[in-house]
Amino acid sequence: MSDIKLNHKQKREEKKYFKEHTTHIKLTPGDIVFNIVNYAFFIVFTISCIFPFYYLFINTISDNELVTKGAITLLPKGLTISNYIQMGKVNDLWTSVLVTFLRTFIGTALMVFVSALAGYLVTKKEMWHRQFWYRFLVITMYFNAGLIPWYLNMSTLGLTDTFAAYIIPGIVSPYNIILVKTYIESIPSEIEESAYMDGASYWTIFRRIIWPLSKPILATIAIFGAVGHWNSFQDSLILNANSPELFTLQHRLYIYLRKSSNISAMVQSGISSADTTAIAGQMNTKIIQYTISMVTIIPILCVYPFMQRYFEKGLMLGAVKG
Amino acid sequence: MAGNTAYAEPESKLINKNKKVFKPKTITEKTADVLYWIMRCAIAVNVFALFFPTFNAVRISQNINGNMSLFTCAVSYKSMLSTFKAVLKRQVWIEPAFKSLSFCAVLIIIASVIAIAGGCMSLGNRKMKKLGCFFTLAAGIVELWGVLGINPILNGLINDSYAAGKFDDMKLMRPNVMYIYIAIGVIYIAFSIVNFFLVPKPEEGIGMEMEPKFRLFLMMLPIIALAFVFSYLPLYGWRYAFFDYKSGETLSMEKFVGFKWFTEIFKTAATKKDIMTVMKNTLAMSGLGILTSWVPMAFAIFLSEIKNTHFRRIVQTFTTIPNFISWVLVYALALAIFSTDGFINTMINSMNPNDPTVSTNYLMESGHMWLKMLAWGLWKGVGWSAIIYIAAISGIDQGLFEAATVDGAGRFSRMWYITVPELIPTYCVLLLMSIANILSNGMDQYLVFSNAVNREQIQVLDLYVYNLGIGSGLIPLSTVVGMVKSIVSVILLFAANGVSKAIRGESIV
Repeated sequence: MSDIKLNHKQKREEKKYFKEHTTHIKLTPGDIVFNIVNYAFFIVFTISCIFPFYYLFINTISDNELVTKGAITLLPKGLTISNYIQMGKVNDLWTSVLVTFLRTFIGTALMVFVSALAGYLVTKKEMWHRQFWYRFLVITMYFNAGLIPWYLNMSTLGLTDTFAAYIIPGIVSPYNIILVKTYIESIPSEIEESAYMDGASYWTIFRRIIWPLSKPILATIAIFGAVGHWNSFQDSLILNANSPELFTLQHRLYIYLRKSSNISAMVQSGISSADTTAIAGQMNTKIIQYTISMVTIIPILCVYPFMQRYFEKGLMLGAVKG
Repeated sequence: MAGNTAYAEPESKLINKNKKVFKPKTITEKTADVLYWIMRCAIAVNVFALFFPTFNAVRISQNINGNMSLFTCAVSYKSMLSTFKAVLKRQVWIEPAFKSLSFCAVLIIIASVIAIAGGCMSLGNRKMKKLGCFFTLAAGIVELWGVLGINPILNGLINDSYAAGKFDDMKLMRPNVMYIYIAIGVIYIAFSIVNFFLVPKPEEGIGMEMEPKFRLFLMMLPIIALAFVFSYLPLYGWRYAFFDYKSGETLSMEKFVGFKWFTEIFKTAATKKDIMTVMKNTLAMSGLGILTSWVPMAFAIFLSEIKNTHFRRIVQTFTTIPNFISWVLVYALALAIFSTDGFINTMINSMNPNDPTVSTNYLMESGHMWLKMLAWGLWKGVGWSAIIYIAAISGIDQGLFEAATVDGAGRFSRMWYITVPELIPTYCVLLLMSIANILSNGMDQYLVFSNAVNREQIQVLDLYVYNLGIGSGLIPLSTVVGMVKSIVSVILLFAANGVSKAIRGESIV
């Protein structure tokens, strides 16, 4: 107990010392001007980054009449959540939410599993032609057949207008395999070798040793993979153009944004007939657009705080080496 | 197994353990090995043939879509007959024949799956090999059953359609590719029987085992196959660049046109003009991106000048958010701020309520499109791109700064002579990468922001390929454009890598 008290006392004294010795550094007028300009720039830029989100949000929770009149600028007026409740009646929106959630979960889970397994396997020197197969995977990052051959290939494989089109092509991700491989190489090999001596199979070693030990990197690729799935839009637009029931949320939002000022068409295609008049009366295109945008943004903002600690690792995504 | 002196003992033990199971090979075993390799190749051919429309053994009528592979015919009876519906409605009697046809396709798929299992087992020890022979034998029998079933169905259809007087309607034909499947089936049967007797009798008391190198390889095989199907197979689609192909048609050698489409781009005035504007847009926007590539670095340097940690963290948190939303959402935000009834117009109108100002939709203007796209790109990316530099700055030795301060260096000279040189290596790598990607601006950003007014100024190469291929259905032309783009990109990447190696002695790929 006394030790801890002493520690606290020491720390307090240290703090005091630093305070006394650091505050007396004089700021020149140039420094002050620099600081003001610097702070001002970052404040303005930060506001420009979050204000659009805020503006969307206050519009969706304000009274619709005021929104239509253009009375909402900086603060919400006439608080209501009726827009979100109304949106619940839009059937195609909910199928999109479901499809997007499903693809995010299934796609990310499979991608993480395969990246972990492949990352582990390519570290095994005894594999048959390991170097060749590793290069075979990695080299796919650097070339691309192009959009049209990719589309034709997918339609040849029968993957157009299917849910599988969202999942299967993204399972093997060479970037993530390299990340996992690099990480696994940093795990002391003694652990694995001793398990092998004890008669564990490769599969057991992977499941019981490699998988738990490489969780930090797997969490990183999972979170970036999930964001990628949530935001992905091209595959829905190109491959599933003829299956509205498979549109992802981003694609749905894109359609609503494009249909601006054409409320009648939207009501017909988007909202189940029973509620058509009720909804069309209360919400205009603008509010529908804003509300769907918020529905699309909210999940990202929810996971965002948890993502932040993976940023530094995720940065390797941009600067990896084969 | 790499020799590592520290683990010399356990490794030699391992090898001994393996030697016990895998004895040196006899001559008959070596012969069997050669036969096995031929059979494995046959299995590979068999599996890939399933996915190629050219090798569709059940395409017994030209009415069946020529772009359908055997696999698609097997898994989806409906889509096999999708181009057939009109005929099917008038002649209901043909339906049973097509049902049994898709059953044949399913049999061939099953045979391939069994053959894969048998092929994998052939990598094991003697006992496993012997069991594998039964698998491949079964695969051969099922495969022949499926393929040979096609002929009677076809003959029956021919007779029936003659009787009904509808022979021309049916457009029947004999798929010659089924002889390939027959050959493969025969190889399966013959080789499995021969190999069963060639492989020596397994030792007593040893179960089925496989060498580690093959065990690892087999675990890897599905991943390799996926990579092949989704990354390498699309390259085969480049053949469309040499054919006169329209969406939904069958590719045949009669439509081979050589390099017609390559010259077509520069012959037709309209396409030529399009390509010129597209190239101008692409290079301008990528060029602007490269010219402003120092911005994230400056952002990081100036942010690190702020001493208040809380403020720094808040700025970092909020400026990184835009990186994680899609371009569609960026466009939604842009609409909320800049459209006719968006924030800016609302603000202008609310400031002078008596003066009826005309609202402008800033997104429907075509002026300064390149700069606007650059601004959106920076807004979205600068906070995120700065993180790598912020991490690098925090790694700089503080002693350098203190020494410089003592020597009388001001704030800006410290930035310029200490921080910037420390960040230049990172910057160089990213710069070279962006030069290599000069033709690939991506499509999402330009697609969402494009409209009737700004179409001319916004269309970049990726968007052009999309509009041409998916929008207008000009598949060969768009394939040519995409193909040239891909090849140039790869060359640029290697050039950038060469430059990096020459200057920094490190490769970037």
